Amino acid sequence: MSGVWIVFRREMAGLFLTPLGWVLFLLALVVNGLYFTAFIQVTGGDVGASLSLALGGGYPFWVIMVLLPPLLTMRMVSEEARSGMLEFLLTAPIRDVSVILGKALAATSFLGLLFGSNLIYALICMSLGATLDWGHIATAMFGTVLVSALFCSIGLVASTLTNTPLIAAFLGFFLNVVMLSLRFLEGTLKGLDAGLRESLMRKVDVIAHFQSSFVRGALDTADIVFFLGWTGVFLFLATRLLEARRWW
Amino acid sequence: MITVSELTRTFGTFTAVDDLSFHLEKGEVAGFLGVNGAGKTTSMRMLTGFLPATRGSVEIAGFDVMRQSLEARRHIGYLPEGVPLYGEHRLREMLEFQARLHHLPRKEAKRRIGEVLARVELTDRAEHLIGKLSKGLRQRAGLAVALLPSPDVLILDEPTSGLDPIQRISVRNLISELASEHTVLVSSHILPEIEAVCQRVIILHQGRMAANGTPEELMREFKRESAVTLEAFMPDPADAARLLGTLPGVESVQQGERLGIHYAFKIRCDDDLREDVGALAAAKGWALRELSFEKPSLERIFSRIAFEVEAESGVKPAAPVVRAESAPIAITPLLSELPLAGSTAPVEPPAPKKIVYNLNPFDSGRDRDLGKPKSTGGDDS
Repeated sequence: MSGVWIVFRREMAGLFLTPLGWVLFLLALVVNGLYFTAFIQVTGGDVGASLSLALGGGYPFWVIMVLLPPLLTMRMVSEEARSGMLEFLLTAPIRDVSVILGKALAATSFLGLLFGSNLIYALICMSLGATLDWGHIATAMFGTVLVSALFCSIGLVASTLTNTPLIAAFLGFFLNVVMLSLRFLEGTLKGLDAGLRESLMRKVDVIAHFQSSFVRGALDTADIVFFLGWTGVFLFLATRLLEARRWW
Repeated sequence: MITVSELTRTFGTFTAVDDLSFHLEKGEVAGFLGVNGAGKTTSMRMLTGFLPATRGSVEIAGFDVMRQSLEARRHIGYLPEGVPLYGEHRLREMLEFQARLHHLPRKEAKRRIGEVLARVELTDRAEHLIGKLSKGLRQRAGLAVALLPSPDVLILDEPTSGLDPIQRISVRNLISELASEHTVLVSSHILPEIEAVCQRVIILHQGRMAANGTPEELMREFKRESAVTLEAFMPDPADAARLLGTLPGVESVQQGERLGIHYAFKIRCDDDLREDVGALAAAKGWALRELSFEKPSLERIFSRIAFEVEAESGVKPAAPVVRAESAPIAITPLLSELPLAGSTAPVEPPAPKKIVYNLNPFDSGRDRDLGKPKSTGGDDS
């Protein structure tokens, strides 16, 4: 467990010591600010509704979710494999799974910080006299972190597959889009029993799971398990792929 | 401390390391020697557990590197080939990261960081960004990182590559110093390096262990690698070869090419036979041009192993090693004896007072007493 923490600290420091982290941070702040302004105008000044749009209710959120995590995770394994740093990490007294967990945690925390910047707007609005449902905001924020973890773990899988960060990033975008569009497969599964099809779709529909609970301010364990489960699957895959790298 | 048994690694159909077995005691410094692609790095990667072996096992400090990986890794300090370090960090931060990975208590870590920095002479660079360090400094930084947890076993993959000669010596001294506390395995393709530092040399060739022992043992084992080179003029080279072969201690006599009128012989023997050969030459009245002894250096043994096939084929490939000054051959002073010689420009710079044996077969050759110099003085050429 301490291994995860050690790698997490190193990765966080790495993200903030390289320009990439700051560039992404800047980009996200600008985008967040623009959208928040737009949401406020659309909702006619309803800060709470704007916030839930910014934290998963609107499409811009998903666009950022598809694009940012692969950019964060692309270097985490592939670049280290290329520079030989992986040889150092994998011969250090630390488990492979700690390496992956530490990196995933760092990427997730970074994304959490990015989306957390929305809370600044909430604070500013509150100081201007708006009343806010903080429980609702906290739930949405929690959900955002869970979704970030899912997409970061997909990004890590992509990163363990190649030694070129750029390819890892594109592979990450691709896998993210696939993950989000799994529910559109419903149309192609017409031959299946309707009940089975329904339950199958429910197991892969990321957006619905997110919007039906967290965005509404409800904390549903089924949805938490849904996200943790999928994240676990991808982290497991990434760990196995990292181990498999030793054999290449 | 390190026990390797039947270690084999294949990549597809290519066998990178084949059936490698050896054992190192605590405090031993061993050198992995091999040409590029001999399997040094692959072996080291398997020793550290980075690369799983296809067959065989490695035990470090009593722990199997695959089955008890974490325990084994705690005892290993590994400096990989490319010296991987996080370039965006300062050297001290990198060392702190390594200290955390090895669970050093904070106080202990601080003390060790000071120690290793002093040891590799980088104390004044502790706050520098690793990415900005020069290659040599980086190499030493990597060494500091590997040394930090004071591991029982140090595995250093080409620790001196990219260093200037002075740093090379200091790293060499450092490795010798470390021998008292650690078991060290160093790889290199630079021979003098290994010869200077290591008590034991393991020579790898095409993935197989070609030799394993102390430099002295290897030299004894490859004793027939010592050789006497003889270049002389004699009437009957075949007979001379036969005579040389009868000298006690001679393993074989190889007759090389004819150089002008001289014949070259390479006499493989187990000791320095120069005096015997010289006496024979004197007795037979051969006109000596060169008589030299070649010790079985590690380099000879190494190149012998690496170029086994070529070395077997005769004197020729070994010739450049033996006769460094032979290229223009001594025909020039002989030519000078010919009537035309006046017009030829001197090839060698005029040497002060030099004895020239006239061996010109066109100039009353055979009947002359070859034991006596015909002329003296270097200004006549």
